[in-house]
Amino acid sequence: MSGPVPLTTDHPGQVASATPPAPGRSRRLSDRWLAVAFISPALLLLLAMSVFPLLWALYLSFTDYSATRGGSAHFVWFENYTAILTSAQVHLRALTTLIYVVGAVALQTVLGFAIAYLISRRTHGRGLLTTLFLVPMMLSQVVVGLFWKFMLDAQFGVINSMLGSLGLGQVEWLTRQQTALISLIVVDTWQWTPFIMLIALAGLTAVPKYLYEAASIDRASEWFRFRTITLPLVWPLLLIAVLFRAIEAFRLFDLVYILTSGGPGVSTETLSFHVYKVAFLGFNTGTASAYGILMVLIVIVLTQLYLRYLNKLKED
Amino acid sequence: MRYPKRIGRLSVPGRKVQLATAAMLVATTVAACGGQDDGAKASAPKAPATIPELTKDPLTLSFIWFDWPPAHALEDFANAEYTKQRSNVTIKVNTVPNANWHDAMFTQFAAHKTDFDIPILDSQHIGEAVTNGNILDITDFVKQNIDVKAYNPYLLAAYGQYPQAETGKRDENASLYGLPLLGDTWTMIYRKDLIGDKPPQTWDEMISVAAKCQADNPGVSGLAFHQANGSDAAAVTYNTVNGVYGGNLWDSKTRKIDGVMNDAAGQEAMDVLVNKMKPLTAKGSGNWFIDEVNAAVAQGKACIAFNWIAASGGLLDPKQSTLGTTREQILDKLGFATLPSQKTNLVPLGGMGMHVSAYSPAANQAEALNFMKWFEQADIQKKWAAAGGVPARTDALESPEFLNAGPFNKVYADSVTRMRDMWNVPEYARLVDIENTNVNAALNGAKPPKDALDDIAKEQQGVLDSGNRKGGGGL
Amino acid sequence: MAVSVDEAVSTGPVRDRTPAARRFGGRGRSVLEIALLTVLAVVMLFPVLWMIETSIKENRDVYAIPAKFFDFTVTLDHFKDVFVASGGGRSTLSVAFLNSVVVAGVSTVLATVLGVPAAWAYSRFSVKAKKDQLFFILSTRFMPPVVVVIPIFLMYRQVGLIDTKLGLILIYAAFNVPFTIWMMKGFVDEVPAEYEDAAMLDGYTRLQAFWKFTLPLLVPGIAATAVFALIFSWNEFVFAIFLTSSDTVRTAPPAIAGLIGGTTVDWGLVAAASVVFALPVLVFAYLVRKHLIAGVTLGAVRR
Repeated sequence: MSGPVPLTTDHPGQVASATPPAPGRSRRLSDRWLAVAFISPALLLLLAMSVFPLLWALYLSFTDYSATRGGSAHFVWFENYTAILTSAQVHLRALTTLIYVVGAVALQTVLGFAIAYLISRRTHGRGLLTTLFLVPMMLSQVVVGLFWKFMLDAQFGVINSMLGSLGLGQVEWLTRQQTALISLIVVDTWQWTPFIMLIALAGLTAVPKYLYEAASIDRASEWFRFRTITLPLVWPLLLIAVLFRAIEAFRLFDLVYILTSGGPGVSTETLSFHVYKVAFLGFNTGTASAYGILMVLIVIVLTQLYLRYLNKLKED
Repeated sequence: MRYPKRIGRLSVPGRKVQLATAAMLVATTVAACGGQDDGAKASAPKAPATIPELTKDPLTLSFIWFDWPPAHALEDFANAEYTKQRSNVTIKVNTVPNANWHDAMFTQFAAHKTDFDIPILDSQHIGEAVTNGNILDITDFVKQNIDVKAYNPYLLAAYGQYPQAETGKRDENASLYGLPLLGDTWTMIYRKDLIGDKPPQTWDEMISVAAKCQADNPGVSGLAFHQANGSDAAAVTYNTVNGVYGGNLWDSKTRKIDGVMNDAAGQEAMDVLVNKMKPLTAKGSGNWFIDEVNAAVAQGKACIAFNWIAASGGLLDPKQSTLGTTREQILDKLGFATLPSQKTNLVPLGGMGMHVSAYSPAANQAEALNFMKWFEQADIQKKWAAAGGVPARTDALESPEFLNAGPFNKVYADSVTRMRDMWNVPEYARLVDIENTNVNAALNGAKPPKDALDDIAKEQQGVLDSGNRKGGGGL
Repeated sequence: MAVSVDEAVSTGPVRDRTPAARRFGGRGRSVLEIALLTVLAVVMLFPVLWMIETSIKENRDVYAIPAKFFDFTVTLDHFKDVFVASGGGRSTLSVAFLNSVVVAGVSTVLATVLGVPAAWAYSRFSVKAKKDQLFFILSTRFMPPVVVVIPIFLMYRQVGLIDTKLGLILIYAAFNVPFTIWMMKGFVDEVPAEYEDAAMLDGYTRLQAFWKFTLPLLVPGIAATAVFALIFSWNEFVFAIFLTSSDTVRTAPPAIAGLIGGTTVDWGLVAAASVVFALPVLVFAYLVRKHLIAGVTLGAVRR
């Protein structure tokens, strides 16, 4: 951080309106001008494409506006919010989303860490192994969803075909209440276990060798070493990985849209999927905006709490 | 050292409140402008009674439909035939995934800018499009240019009239917003080699024949029908059984659903569907729609199946079938029949009409009207039938061109007088979603059938009655 | 340097051949671990292999029960169908692939051009409330797309960007700029500011110093960052399905999703299209394997 001058660019509006000083000799002024010139285009794009739409949604969330029915928007103030927060339909979707997020993230964390641990203990072929394990993560959710739909088909899907060869019966993966949600969790876990693995692996291979050597001189048990050396060093990284996954899982839409479209009934409808229905089936734009704003708030608040916990953990 | 050194240390920004307030004011202003713009168009604009002069410049006339064989048939047919008369015109049928069909059309309507001139709306979509002013009122155009006597009045009404004609009669005074493009209904597809040449005549008989066939033929399930929770799949299935068992979807005059749909007949229909028909279907068929039912038939896995006629063409394709290596061999095994009747002989109305986007350029709207006039001529309707389409004109329906084009076409011709449609009110999309998800839940054991039916009636009634509610609409 | 897969998994200074392995039953445990890894690898890779296999099977083998793993006729017809329409000419899928190339490519260039200078400025200058700004930038990326798409839709219809490639390009760029800034800031931080200071003592302006000395050093980082932005835009589905509808604009993900839900499902074609679609991403991901961790965590985890 070599820039000597504190710049007043905390306010993007100010950035845009700051008049660039003449390119004088003054290095201070030149730096300031550069910073503004370099940062403001990016911030302007974000303002136009992220902030402005979000504020518009915020405004609409207090109205009964509909994108198709026409007519002007009438203020209903917090009616949309109270309707959403007290709706049993929404509670149902929140529960589904919660189960999904917790289930998927927990499963992929355990699996991802296990795979990373196993890989980190190998001497040969680690590069190849890691690369192979990473493939699912790179695929589009559309491809992943379609393909698992094909594999999980109760009649001709390869999963049931293999279960059949083992003498087990057919499982209705996508059309029973519990199995459908489990299928979603399994597919998400398949795709994102590599993510956790990759990050855990970074932590595991970063544990300095001398720590283990010291411990082995002390004849510490392996579990003790894992618990006192490995885990504390990997833990913060793992927590970051979990945060990323939780945010992603919370806004899950693509997979539901393709794999179950919310079925059977509405039992795999996540919050995102419900927002979509409110927004595009009935075009209840006002309600959908309020719904979306609430989702964004949840992400922001939970992320903040989590990061605060993380920072505290780091300081300890 | 490679352990994490730089984990973002993040905190909530405190100063953004002022910025937010400022930007919100801007947003409010812009949104208010948008609102005024919307308010200007409250009802459907009128199309001219006579077709305006057509352009001589190259013009592309665009349709929007979902991706299925009739869409490709239409594009090929129109490019081959219509261009004989209008050589400067190219026909383009944009196709979207079926699940995205309603959204794709209505998001564009909402944008007041459409990349199509002729939306092919499902019959039930009309109310929403008309109320929002998205499609042209073509009443005067039809009076001047279309021979309405050539049609079964109900077909004309089903694909164009709003408010709806669920009585089965056309209201001569009601406005028209579309003309028939593709007629359709369910056909019963049955395995002649498994249950005999004669199709079952009543619904009860059909169920018992299917049960026997399933018991006699391991690996083949008795029934296959639409159960998915997307589009209108499970809803049409329930509505069909509801109709056959003498139920009603609603009382359109009093706008009452609760107490009508879930009356004794409705309950019986739900009971038949969930407790008698569902057990005869394949395991895991709870998310089946058109393509899965076709696949089951083509793979020889179903004794009796129900599907839309317009979607059944692929069944005769030996490349996709295990039932035979030629069309004739397949037809030895597959029979197509009108639906069995029980308390009534109602069958579901399918198919779609052509409409004119209110947001197309004038030249394209004129061309669209000209296309519609051309399309509804007797000889063109017959050619459309020969090309694989399902016409609506009575003379075309009775023509050998149509009846010989496919083994299921006679089924359609025989079904025309028996059809019943769903509500085509503006709230259609929400109503059908409520019904779809609940019927799907009942079929898959996620909800007891009676509860599902009561929930449908209650929630749909809520949607119809929600006109004056403040906030939270659409939940 | 950001951690790399090669580095993370290098056979260099590792703590294998640990005494522990020997103490706890040595070879037996090692065999068990290898077996476990193999099983996991097979489970993780099976769907991919099955996809490839399905793409070269004839349709009647695709539906065969029990599933055919080895004994099937190989055909490349599905791949032909991906590119060539049944009546000859270009298929709609191939048009969608082209659209994807344009949309992903241009949006990536835009995000890079906007993001890299901003990242440099954030790294070099003590911008006021920098952390707040950076967090704010990042937070725009956390919003659920289904939520963002509603106001974006309303905004686009005012300015006529619905169903246009430009509309998709702008929203993808807006989603990629935060990522680019965060990722690139890490790379810029690694280039000592002293290089620029030295250059400025030689009479170069700050801008020239950036252009002539820092930027060349950043090229590998820029390339990696751009590739991740490219992958995001390439795979994106939600905005694509709600903001576009015509064949000439639609990108590949909604086009592939549209292959099911007609009257018949050609799973062979779905598989072939998926393979064709996934291949560039896998190649690109392989090229940037050194920066994968930073790439998938928006640069939050680097070392």
